[in-house]
Amino acid sequence: MKRILNGLPRHKGACLGIAFLGVLALAACFAGLLVDPLAQDLASALEGPSAEHWFGTDELGRDILARVIYGARTSLLTAAGAVAIAAALGIPIGLIAGYFGGWRDTVLMRFVDVLLALPGILFAMALIAVLGRSQATALVAVGLTGIPGFARVTRAETLALRTREFVLAVEAFGGSSTYSIFRTVLPNAWSPILVQTVVLAAVAILLEAALAFLGVGIPPPTPSWGEMLRTGKTYLYDSPSYAVLPGLVLTLTILSLDAIGRALASILRESEGLHDAPLAEAGAP
Amino acid sequence: MRKKLLRTSCLLAAVLVGAASPRPSQAQALKGGTLRVALLTDIVNYDPQQFSSVNFPLIKNLYDSVIEYTPEGKAVPSLASAWTIAPDATSVTLTLRPEPTFQSGAKLTAEAVAASLKKAADPKLGKNLYATMSFVKGWDVVDPHTIRLNFTAPAPERQITDLLQFISVIDPAGIDTVETKPAGIGPYQLAERVVGQRIRLTANPGYWRNGEPLSKEAQFTIFSEDAAATAALESGATDMIYGGTARSAVRLKNAGYSLIQGPGQLVQVFRINATRGPFRNEKFRQAFNYLMDRANILRLGYNGLGEPVALPWAAASPAFDASYTTKYALNLDKAKQLLSESGLSAAEMSNWKLLTNSGDEPSVVISQLVQSTLAKVGIKIELEMRSGSDLVDAMLSGKFDATFGGVGNVQKFPSRLTTNSIYRTTNNPVLGNPNPFPAYVAAIDRVNSTFGPGADVKGAYDNLNQVLVTSAFGIPTNTYDVALLVGAKNVAGFTKDIDNLLVLRTVGFKP
Repeated sequence: MKRILNGLPRHKGACLGIAFLGVLALAACFAGLLVDPLAQDLASALEGPSAEHWFGTDELGRDILARVIYGARTSLLTAAGAVAIAAALGIPIGLIAGYFGGWRDTVLMRFVDVLLALPGILFAMALIAVLGRSQATALVAVGLTGIPGFARVTRAETLALRTREFVLAVEAFGGSSTYSIFRTVLPNAWSPILVQTVVLAAVAILLEAALAFLGVGIPPPTPSWGEMLRTGKTYLYDSPSYAVLPGLVLTLTILSLDAIGRALASILRESEGLHDAPLAEAGAP
Repeated sequence: MRKKLLRTSCLLAAVLVGAASPRPSQAQALKGGTLRVALLTDIVNYDPQQFSSVNFPLIKNLYDSVIEYTPEGKAVPSLASAWTIAPDATSVTLTLRPEPTFQSGAKLTAEAVAASLKKAADPKLGKNLYATMSFVKGWDVVDPHTIRLNFTAPAPERQITDLLQFISVIDPAGIDTVETKPAGIGPYQLAERVVGQRIRLTANPGYWRNGEPLSKEAQFTIFSEDAAATAALESGATDMIYGGTARSAVRLKNAGYSLIQGPGQLVQVFRINATRGPFRNEKFRQAFNYLMDRANILRLGYNGLGEPVALPWAAASPAFDASYTTKYALNLDKAKQLLSESGLSAAEMSNWKLLTNSGDEPSVVISQLVQSTLAKVGIKIELEMRSGSDLVDAMLSGKFDATFGGVGNVQKFPSRLTTNSIYRTTNNPVLGNPNPFPAYVAAIDRVNSTFGPGADVKGAYDNLNQVLVTSAFGIPTNTYDVALLVGAKNVAGFTKDIDNLLVLRTVGFKP
């Protein structure tokens, strides 16, 4: 953690991303005190940005900024839940497959390959078709599509650590496999897992928005960025800001997470003595 | 009374013989060409008895009906040059034109009409026409160009002409394969179809109406997005959009394009499953008469194209009564009073979901509007979002608490309302069998058995209207246009069909 905190100031994009996400998270947490995303003012439907409504109003006269803020709550909660599910299932799979190898590795990784072969959005849509539209379903659907990422990253790191002296030493002193996995391997495998967490959070937000955009996300009137994009697209002629502003917030959120993820990867590589190759060298013949 | 009816029918038919179609006067000044039509949805099949709105673009272009209605609802000849209702109103005799030729080259005969009637009377094959055939006992081919339809009981004139207008004649040689291969007698024939992409029609060389079709070819392109179809029209890549959204239609109209609004409106109805939860309570259901913000439903859902209504009739319906719209306007106090009289607890009143078509933009908007209105009187409900096909399944199997859905045939004889699932008097898929509203069934029977213009008929309609708002299993909110048509500035000659079907035979280009 200290390495990350020390390294972050050198990555200005990541700092801006953290600031943006911080403001967004705060607004989402205290949204209930600030605004009502469901209050309809039918006489003010589809108005552009104004002093009263900074982002304008939607087709039912609801404040778009209020819905964007509440939408952040939806997106961030979905991302957090999805990452938790993916990590809770994917990390143990990767640890077991990488540590034990053999038939366990074969069975688990083929299962992961099957999951990976399913297009994430189609898999999520199929699950929603079976379980129905709700935030919980979206969260589970997005989470399950994230399992392969965690499993593969964790397995790769475990394979590398499995033959290191400190792991072999624990075994030589009679440490159990469970002890070795969770007290020796896992604490040393956190770096790529942390990066994967940030990457998956961005993917989860995007996937949740995509599901809502396709009309299978969280049902209205619950605000969702994807749903706002979907509806806003319909009113693009009448009120361009309706789709553009929520889309901008979604883009900034994804960019922020991406910048943070890249910064983390860079910091962790540097701390391991590796350095990013300059672009010219990487592309040189 | 019946003699008078007979005389009126014969006179009407005689006057209109020869006036083959209500052709617009400007048609003479138009020139032909290739009409390019933008659609938002592909057709389902070529069966004219499958009267789904997705099939509306082709039915009147591939087929002709026995008679037609003017936009004002007046019956005029088409394939039948005359029709005579028997003095006892238990039969109607059709005189068919000798000249119409099917696209296969076969001539129109009474046997061909009989074959179409046989299909219509078959519960498995008759599709949307089957219910309308319910009062037809049978038919007799009198001679090659005369056929008589016999009824189970004396039938009002409007009910008879509604049936005749609904019958599109299918070529007997192709009747078994009509879903996949058109077998029509209409102004155009199928030249090419690429499913999901385009349909091309060419003029039927043996078409019987002189000088029609004006344009010798029609190309339909299926656009998946309303915005894409609109852009195509504005860029000149297409000549008209059929079945676009009200919002685009209004915008294009304001930009100088022709918006053609026919008389074939639907009525949006808040359908209530009176066999479920709190909706078993009559007072609770009646409260919904006052809980519909009809003006805003119309404005936000349909861009104001339509009229608020509290009864399931369009303005052209003989049963239409505007006073109900005023009487049952949004009134939260009256609604609260009825809710209080229902004796239901707040939890019981909120124990249901509003089924919503996630793919239908107006449905999503108006469902959220109603959800918000209901919250003001303490009814807190959730929306249950379903895609179009799932929603139709739920609607037709009664697996819903309440939902919005359009009802058709609202500009015709009032008992035609019973062709809509929620309003069926028998075999009602939502309310069950027997119908739990005997007063409604009796009111429909009274409408069907009351003849002639006058106080008796009006009394029957008034009674039906009162029963509809009292039983309150369907709460109408507004009329709206099905299949809006927007034409480019250089296209004219549109014929308004009573059901808003697309009629291209009179359409051409301004010189």
